Amino acid sequence: MSLEAEQKLASGLKELLGDRVSDIKVQRARSIFVTVKAEDYKESIRRVIEKYGITHISTITGADSGPTVDVMPHLSHAGTKITFKAAVPKTAAEIDTLTDILPGAVMYEREVHDLLGVKFKGHPNLARLVISDDWPSDVHPLRKEYKVIRPEPIRKT
Amino acid sequence: MTPMPEFSVIVGPQHPALKEPESFTFWVDGEDVVRAEVRIGYAHRGIEKAAESRTYIQNIPLIERICGICNVAHTICYTQNVEYLYGREIPRRAEYIRTIIEELNRIHSHLLWVGIAGHEIGFDTLLMYVWRDREVVMDLIEEMTGNRVSTALMTVGGVTRDITPELATRLRKGLDILEERTKYYEKIAAGESTILARTKGIGILTRDEAVRHCAVGPTLRASGIKSDIRADDPYAAHDEVPFDVITSDTCDLFGRVVVRVYETIESIKQVRYCLDHLPNGPIRIRLPNTPPRGESLSRVEAPRGEDIHYVRSDGSDRPARYKVRAPTLGNLAGLVEMLTSKGNYKVHVADIPIILAGIDPCMCCMDRTARFIEPSRNKEWVWTWDQLKRYKRRSGR
Repeated sequence: MSLEAEQKLASGLKELLGDRVSDIKVQRARSIFVTVKAEDYKESIRRVIEKYGITHISTITGADSGPTVDVMPHLSHAGTKITFKAAVPKTAAEIDTLTDILPGAVMYEREVHDLLGVKFKGHPNLARLVISDDWPSDVHPLRKEYKVIRPEPIRKT
Repeated sequence: MTPMPEFSVIVGPQHPALKEPESFTFWVDGEDVVRAEVRIGYAHRGIEKAAESRTYIQNIPLIERICGICNVAHTICYTQNVEYLYGREIPRRAEYIRTIIEELNRIHSHLLWVGIAGHEIGFDTLLMYVWRDREVVMDLIEEMTGNRVSTALMTVGGVTRDITPELATRLRKGLDILEERTKYYEKIAAGESTILARTKGIGILTRDEAVRHCAVGPTLRASGIKSDIRADDPYAAHDEVPFDVITSDTCDLFGRVVVRVYETIESIKQVRYCLDHLPNGPIRIRLPNTPPRGESLSRVEAPRGEDIHYVRSDGSDRPARYKVRAPTLGNLAGLVEMLTSKGNYKVHVADIPIILAGIDPCMCCMDRTARFIEPSRNKEWVWTWDQLKRYKRRSGR
């Protein structure tokens, strides 16, 4: 499969963002991963959506990668998925919100906040979305420290 | 006369409109809904966490249970995502079979929705008729996979069952009946006065709002945006199977009915095309148990819209992270917008159920813990499994 269009888009992104990009990878047809620093996260995304006229954010994935949590918004540009990746330290998990530039991110940021404890600075309402309101605020179920307790088989007496 | 103060009405979590849990708070001014707030999570089952402790093969039945109605969309999205990790292409015949079952699943989901919509607007005759005809497609799915709902057809590397020429003949016969009946519903949807009166100008989501709130699927297409993952980011056999992306510019519930009915007809055509052009060859390839290190993203057009999955592999036999975003979550922000009165557009309390049903919500997809409520103490909490076991031992149950 030829990936010419993707390579071209990737070099366009690289040119636009300059040294803000630490890594750019064409994963497969119509899928690109762009790694940026947490402090450049919002500015890079703002530049990209303005240049390419992107309006659609598919979702935001949060993933535990050891000492950091990766925040990955997946944008969609003419069928191509552009994923940004920014790592925030677990001890100070904070990153800028995207809600003012991409209003569709509201629910997704709440979900990442709920399950991985990443705070989005400037989000209008970071209330609980999927887990219960009285869930302890320092327990983040999708971080690796949180272990799932396996049910024991029921003993017949 | 002093104006009436704002009043909040809580709807749910017990089955608002559809038989699924979700809680809404509506601020009403007389009969008009001023604004709405939504609280989800009542069906959060921790599937993403559970996926991390199962192998790639064990995850298939788990992912299939994210949703009953659109199980095929989720399993296709999962299996192709894992195949992307391996960087392997699957046999073309398997991709065609995936497309066939996916479109059959879409037909059943859309017909189910048309029936529900009929029920919500008080037109139960339509519900009875549509659901009777939906049995045809349920039977076809059963003949093809052995199950009516959860199909269990997907596996990493292909599909588990083949289509025999006899089965293809029976599928074609069933499709003829479905096509005839769907064309009849097309006529009803466009001209029946009950449907027109209860859907035109209701649940408006303008083109700009739909784009701004990142709506997906038939909700987005009914606001006049030509967007379909099958066309924009083709997967399985969709790069070869021709179809039209159906849109409507009425931006209201009527548009959503029309889009779904026409899409059903397109799906019937697609299944027929796949049966006519089914390539020969194997239906699956064997892949090693552990995919290489890496990450991947895959999208599928589920009956309700864009379904997106993310997987990260650390080189072991279990995913390091699995993320699912089902289409309903994408449509929630748009739904809140539809339920807000602005200017001349008034949302009436009586229209709430049909507007809710209009996005074809699937809460189980969206939520993916156990939650305990003790009304006497007016308290709600979540227990861990350990606490639950301790409670069981203590109480001797």
